[in-house]
This record gives sequence, structure tokens and C-alpha cells, in this order.
Amino acid sequence: MTRDARTGSDGLGFEPEDLDGHTMDELADYLDAGRTPADLSIDSSPGCRIALDALERLRRLGPALLDRDAAAESRADESWVRSVIDGIARDARAGRRIPFPVAEPDDDLGITEGAVRGLIRTAGDAIPGVLIGRCRLDGDVTAPGAPIRIRVEASVPYGLPIARLAERLRTEIGDRVRTHGELNITEIDIVVHDVRDLPKNGGDA
Amino acid sequence: MTGLDGGLALDIADDRTIAGRAADGDVEAFATLVRRYTPLLRAYARRILGGTASVDDIVQESFITAWQRLPELDDMGRVRGWLMRIVSRKAIDEVRARRPHVDVDGVEGLELPARPEDRPEQRAEHRAELTALADALGELPDAQRECWVLREIGGCTYDEIAEQLDQPASTVRGLLARARKHIIVRMEDWR
Repeated sequence: MTRDARTGSDGLGFEPEDLDGHTMDELADYLDAGRTPADLSIDSSPGCRIALDALERLRRLGPALLDRDAAAESRADESWVRSVIDGIARDARAGRRIPFPVAEPDDDLGITEGAVRGLIRTAGDAIPGVLIGRCRLDGDVTAPGAPIRIRVEASVPYGLPIARLAERLRTEIGDRVRTHGELNITEIDIVVHDVRDLPKNGGDA
Repeated sequence: MTGLDGGLALDIADDRTIAGRAADGDVEAFATLVRRYTPLLRAYARRILGGTASVDDIVQESFITAWQRLPELDDMGRVRGWLMRIVSRKAIDEVRARRPHVDVDGVEGLELPARPEDRPEQRAEHRAELTALADALGELPDAQRECWVLREIGGCTYDEIAEQLDQPASTVRGLLARARKHIIVRMEDWR
């Protein structure tokens, strides 16, 4: 491991002579490794223990400082949010084009993957408290009539039977996608990844 | 309570749900992400840059990059750290544009602007410690401060910091060791 000789030049009291020959760099690594394997020459050194305590305290304080800073920042006002949203390419998520099976070979009709995902999200919105997250369409969707498997993640409210919610969600998704898209949906997998309290305490910011 | 409207439902949803929707093209979910993390990302950029710089452009550009690259994120639940990583890259890019060579031996530190230190929601015993830390950080030379903030606040590895600063990892280790010593000694002075 590389040691930087220059770290020993500023005389602040955490030099190798204060640390029974160890360096701050080394002690930080020891802390990163969860103090394992135990190093007796570090653990038995009063100087090292003082330095380790201080490093550990700093490690706690860094994230706390950021939290305090963030709390002191003004909230994002709506004109700021709009300016960010105006800067993004909204059509970047269209995804693959899914053709509809049609009678006439010259007919050209289809729906984008992004639009199907939008339909699936609105299916979740139809059930109070249910929110659909990530959503994937598996299968060769660009071939007309090809079997498509839908996989969605969902967040549900605490206190409702998850199996029944999932079944309702599956029905809503199936109805909407089949009605609007005439897609050959063979399977709808739902993974509930979050059960949250209503009405508040959702965001983990 | 039932019958949540869309906006409120998004506001209380977990990161994985919101980021997943945004990755799939839900602009409203992305706006929720912007609202949720703008203060944090501004604060983080300010810590990296030392407080005097305008951070809005960096945060805005970071969100635009995030929108483009969100579908590539493996774990949507880790969007907070991922956004911080984007911001640190943009901030360091800006630093390097202004200052082509990292001033490894620089002794001058940027002054932090006065910050409101007496927010009632902070527990009193932490307030003094955090203020001491902020002051000590403010005294550090730029390169030391950048390394420390990326490591201890941003959770970057030594190699990631080295890559961002375009310095050898050994230099990053040296800068970090000096930054840590300085901060610890200064904070002891406050006790």
C-alpha cells in the first residue's frame, strides 16, 4: 500500500510518532475494513485509539453535515422544477415499436413501448394507494402478435391484503393493455417492493 | 385515507417507485425526484465547490444527465447516491475547467459563506460539532476539501476520487490524510 510521505509534514499531532508508527491513512483503511482482522499494534496503541475515535466521529458527521446543509437550502420552487423539466427530452423513452396484428399486410399500425408502459401505470392509478414503479415488457415485441410478458414493480399501502391488491392490479393491467393495444399478453408478473404507511411518511429524502 | 391524487401519491412514494417510473418515461415522477433531491444536491455541490460558486447550473445539468441515463441504473432504490455521484462529477468538471491542475500543495482555502447555524430542528449537541466541521472544511485547500467531501459525504472510493480529480490514488490518500488531520485538530480546538 502506498504511503504518502508528505502527510507527515504538517505537525498536527497525528504523525506516525504519535501513532506508534502507524499513519492516518492506514488507520482510515483499518476503519474501512471494520477493524478486521484485528491489529493488536493498532488496538493497543492509545494514540491510535484516539485517532480512530476521531476518524469514526468524522465519518458520522459528514452525512449529518450534508443533511443539515440540505435542510438549510430552500425548497425547489415550481419555476425551478419547470426549468429542469423543460430541459429534458420527453420523447427519449418511446422504446420499441409494437406492431398490431392486422388483416392487411399493407396496414401499418402500432404502439410504442413507452405508451404501453403509460397504460400500465394508469392501471395502478385506478386502485387507491397503489403505485406502479418500473415496468418491463419481455418478448419479441416488434413481431406482430408475439407473446408478451409484463413485469411490474408496485408500491402498495400498508394494511391491505397484498394478494388481493395484486390480483386487482393484474386484472386492471390486462384489461387496459388488451383493450387499447390488442397485445398478446401471456403473463403479468407483479412484484410488490414497498408497503408504505398512509397518509404520510413516504419519501426517504 | 384513500383517493390520493397522482401528485400527492408520488410525493409519498419510495425512491424505487419514483425512479422506476421516471426511467420508464413518467415526467411527473421525474419532477417529484427533482423536488425531492434539489436541496440535497445543491448542498452537496456547495460543499464540493466551497460555497462561493453558483450551483444551480450544475444541479440542473445533473438532472438532465440523470433523465437520460436513468434507464441504465440497476437499483432504482439507490437513486439518491447515484444522483450525488452525477453532481460530484459535474462539480469536479467545473473545478477542473476553472483550475486545470489540482493544486495539491495549495494552502489557501475558500471561505464558506455564513450559514444559518441555529435551525431549531437540529439537536443542540450536534449543532456545535457540525458548525466546527463546516468551519474546518472551509479552511481546507480546495483539493483537500474536494477529496474529503467526495469520500466522507459522497461515499466515493479512493479510485473514484482519483479518476474524477485526474490524480494518482496515492495523491488522493495523501490529500485525505491531511484533510482529516486538519479537521480533527480544528474540531478538538472547539471542544
